[in-house]
Amino acid sequence: MYRTAQHIRLRSPGIVSMILIALGALGSGACRQDAQGSVEPLAGQKKIGVLLVNHGSRSSTWRESLLDLEKSVTERVRAGGLVKEVKTAFMEYTEPSIATRLKEFDAAGFTDVVIVPVFLTVSPHSFDDIPTIIGQKEDPRSLELLKVEKIERYTPRARAWITPLLDFTDVLQQNVLRRARALSTNPAEEGLVLIAYGDHTYSDQWSALLNRVGEYVKEQTGIAEHSHGWCGHVARYDPQVTTDAIERVLAKRQTALVVPVLVARDEMFQVKIIGDGIARISNHRERVRYKPDAILPDPNIEDWVTRIALEYAERAAKAVPGGNGAS
Amino acid sequence: MAGWRKLNAALHRDLGYLCTALVMAYCLSGLALNHIDDWNPDFIITRVPVRLDRAYSPAEINDEVVAGFGALVGESRYKVYDAPTENQVKIYYDNATLHLRLADGEGVYERVSRRPIFYHSNILHRNSVAGWKWVSDVLAILLILINVTGLLILRGKYGISGRGKWLIAAGMVPPMVAILLHELG
Repeated sequence: MYRTAQHIRLRSPGIVSMILIALGALGSGACRQDAQGSVEPLAGQKKIGVLLVNHGSRSSTWRESLLDLEKSVTERVRAGGLVKEVKTAFMEYTEPSIATRLKEFDAAGFTDVVIVPVFLTVSPHSFDDIPTIIGQKEDPRSLELLKVEKIERYTPRARAWITPLLDFTDVLQQNVLRRARALSTNPAEEGLVLIAYGDHTYSDQWSALLNRVGEYVKEQTGIAEHSHGWCGHVARYDPQVTTDAIERVLAKRQTALVVPVLVARDEMFQVKIIGDGIARISNHRERVRYKPDAILPDPNIEDWVTRIALEYAERAAKAVPGGNGAS
Repeated sequence: MAGWRKLNAALHRDLGYLCTALVMAYCLSGLALNHIDDWNPDFIITRVPVRLDRAYSPAEINDEVVAGFGALVGESRYKVYDAPTENQVKIYYDNATLHLRLADGEGVYERVSRRPIFYHSNILHRNSVAGWKWVSDVLAILLILINVTGLLILRGKYGISGRGKWLIAAGMVPPMVAILLHELG
C-alpha cells in the first residue's frame, strides 16, 4: 500500500539479492553479535517475528483478552517454523509498548516483524499512528499526539510488515451474528443495535462497516431492523448516543438487542457508557437485551490472525532484505 | 506579633512567590483542559478544503500525479503517500497532510501547530514530561501549606475565628451540592 521511492525501488529485486535470499534460506541459525550485544543474523538469512498490536487500555480485563489472543495463536503461528516468536504490544497506556517490543525483536536479531493490528477498521490509529511509531510515516498530527501521550517512536532494524485490519474479511459479520443469535428469541420483533468506538476522520467507513454487519445479521436471522451508534471519542463517551441508537430501533420494533462491536471488554465502555445508555431507556428491562461482551474471544479471529500473520511471514521470507514492509 | 505568626506569614508570602509561575500555568491549563470537548487545547489544526480538477480513479494515482496535487496546496515535495481506503489517498508533507477522496475530487489540506502557552502548560499539567509528577506532588503539598498558613495569618473578626469560618463553610457548599447531586442522580 505504501508508495515511497525506496519501496518502489525494492519492488524489483536484483538477481544478486535473490541469490542471497536463497543462500540465506539454506543457512541454519548462524548469527553475529554487535558491540551492543545485539544478535544479528548473517546476511540473507531471515528471522521472522509476529507482533500483535492493539490499541491498549487501562482495563486489565481488556489487556488480558489481547494477551489471551496471543496465547491462542502462538502455537499455530510458530508451527511451521517460519515464525520464531509471537508477541503483543499495547499502543497506548501500558507496557509493553510497540517500541519496547520492536527493540526486543531487534535485540534478538529478527530480520522481519509482521505487525498484525488488531483493529476493526481504518482509523488514524491504524493508518497513521502505528506507521508513525515504527518510523514508516511522519504524520504531523500523530507525531504531536504521540509526544503528548508519551508514546515512544522506534524505527526497528528489522523490516516491518503491516497486515490488513479485521474488516478485511467477513470475520466480524460471523462474530456479531453469533452474539446476536445468542440474545435473540423472536427475530421478527427485534432490532439489532451495534455500538462501536467510531472515528471522526473515517466515519463513512465505520458506518459502512456496521451497516454491512447489520444487514448480514438481518439476512441470516430475520431480525427486522438495525441501527448503530458510537461510544468513543467521536461520541464524547456520551451514553446518550447509545440511548438514541436503541430508541431508533425501539420506535419500530418491540425489543432491541444491543451488541458491543468492541475488540475486548473494557468496563468503561461495556458497563459504564453502553450500560448507562441502556439504563436511560425507561422500560429497558423488558425491551432491551444486552450482554456486555466483546468480539474477543473468538476462534474465527484467532484463525484470521494466524492466517494473516503466516501470509505476511511468507511474503517476508520471500522478500529482498531491507526496505519498508508493504501492507 | 508572636514568633510563630511572623514565621507563618513569611512562609505564606515566600511559598506564594515560589509557586506563582506553576499555579498560573496549572490554572491556564486547567481552563483549557476543562473545555477539551469544545476545542483542541494543545494544537491549532488548520484545515483548508481542496478541490481537484476532476475525479480520479485509484488506478490513476502514481508518483507524478501525487506530486502534481502538491501544487494545489503550495507543497513542492511530498514525503510519502498512502491509501487509507480504496478511493482515498493521503499525502504527507513536512508538518502537513493532504487527504483526498478520489471519487469526488474533494479533500482537506491540514496543518498542525502547537497552541502557544497552552501546549506547554498542558504537557506539565498532564505530566507528559518524564518525572514531572514528582514536581506536581511537591507543588500540591506546597499549595496545602500556602492555604493553611493563609488561614492563620490574621486574628480577630477577619481571622479564621471570625468571618474566615463562614467563608470556609461557604466554599464547601458547591462541592457538597455537586457530590449530593451525583449520588442522587
